[in-house]
Amino acid sequence: MLNNSEETLNRLYAGYYPMVLQFILNNSGDEDDAKDVYQEAIIVLYNKIKTGDFELSSKLKTYIYSVSRRIWLKKLSQQSKKTNNLSDFEDVLAVEEDVEQHEEKDQQFQKMESALQHLGEPCKTIIQDFYINNLSMTDICEKFGYTNTDNAKTQKYKCLQRLKKIFFQL
Amino acid sequence: MATDIIRILMRNEIELESIIEDYLKGKLTPREIEAFEQLRANDPAVDHKVVTHKVFLDSLQQYAEILALKEQMNHAHESLDVSYLTEQFRPHPSFVVNLWRKNKALIAVAASFIFLASLSVYSIQHNTKQNGSYEVMKKEVASIKNSQNRLIRNINSSRVQKENINPGRFGGTGFALSSNGYLCTNFHVIDGADSIYVQNNKGKSFKVKVVFSDPQYDLAILKIDDENFSALASLPYRLKKDNIGMGENVYTLGFPKDDAVLGEGYVSSNTGYNGDTTAYQVSIPVNPGNSGGPLLDNNGNIIGAITAKQNQADGAAFAIKSQYIMEALNAIPQDSIGSRITSVGKKNVLKGLHRTKQIEKIQDYVFMIKVYN
Repeated sequence: MLNNSEETLNRLYAGYYPMVLQFILNNSGDEDDAKDVYQEAIIVLYNKIKTGDFELSSKLKTYIYSVSRRIWLKKLSQQSKKTNNLSDFEDVLAVEEDVEQHEEKDQQFQKMESALQHLGEPCKTIIQDFYINNLSMTDICEKFGYTNTDNAKTQKYKCLQRLKKIFFQL
Repeated sequence: MATDIIRILMRNEIELESIIEDYLKGKLTPREIEAFEQLRANDPAVDHKVVTHKVFLDSLQQYAEILALKEQMNHAHESLDVSYLTEQFRPHPSFVVNLWRKNKALIAVAASFIFLASLSVYSIQHNTKQNGSYEVMKKEVASIKNSQNRLIRNINSSRVQKENINPGRFGGTGFALSSNGYLCTNFHVIDGADSIYVQNNKGKSFKVKVVFSDPQYDLAILKIDDENFSALASLPYRLKKDNIGMGENVYTLGFPKDDAVLGEGYVSSNTGYNGDTTAYQVSIPVNPGNSGGPLLDNNGNIIGAITAKQNQADGAAFAIKSQYIMEALNAIPQDSIGSRITSVGKKNVLKGLHRTKQIEKIQDYVFMIKVYN
């Protein structure tokens, strides 16, 4: 999964989605909720594996179920919906800590997302191309039609300054 | 080099940033790194820039990773048949269906019990029906006899036809105590028998002889004495030495009909009929034919042998405790027994297995006992 193996992810994704879907559907959610919750749970798992201290003390299935359950419980309580009479389908682990860590990370993620949104074009694309898609300065120069790389560099510098400003202000 | 960098810094903030980026990405040469780190150490402002830039680039990196992961997941999501799954798992208005979904495995096991239980109930009904009709038949015969008697008295001539006596055939259950053919059953099953045969679950019959009988504890030990009999594999179950507690789930396999029937229940009392301390009272539906069957706990330990049931009291059956089976077994010359049943403590292959798997393993060791007299 860490090697971004698409096949592994696909297998994992298809393997446990029905379980989470069943849980959400039976606890006042719909399939879109299930998708969101499930994807968040997988991100939790991903981050957990990435830190390297992930030791599976139970079945992977139980872990994913527990995380999804925790996330969904939080969402339900945020919508101030009743959370009693929860229908459970699997054993549950204590995963509060993992989910809380995830929430912090998720905030960062959303902050970055909205910062990039606020940045506007062409800055957003330049930043994404350079920092996310790892394009070289010359590629960007060609793509955006700058007369030389120095201009592109200057533009990128300004964009990043603005992005930082927005990001840290949010 | 260091002076170069400083000059560049003076010249352009942009260049500084790209150097910081190169530094963070590890693109600088060792000499450049050394010079740059010196600069960092000397200039807190530069150091601060490096740190904040690193933090920012890290969160940008994380953002990128999660974004990629989400994209992959969405891709995976598209390949799923969500609407089908949704339809399948949508909460069903029926309570029963929800219950089913939640406890599939449990229910599957329970269902198999219910199935087996209903089979045994069916066989009770079948039996009682037969008994009932048998009684009716007897009554009819009696009334015929009466009228015939009267006829005899009246006419005093023709001879009365004698009632046809059925060949007395009784049945019970027994279970293997050793792999070379020693079986345990109830004394009352074989009492007064002319010849005894046992039949295994494959339908093969073997002749047996009684090697030990103990009317006090209602136990008998038989030995298969038939040249067609080949030794059994090693016994899967163990004999429990200690008493087991009230409420323990137990089950028995017996032959109230021609095929093995499972009875399931719990130990309802540590004493048997009228406070008999040598027996348990168990709440298991048993029928004639269950006598001598093994009573097993959830771990596949034999805790007793079914002996009788109380009339007029529903679900009260009695089982002689396993200690007495052990005692009976000890009364037999040990060298003739061969590899005998072992007591609990030794590895039990049935432990932790599902009930169905346990039964699968046990049924080769439970025999129908056919008594002719």
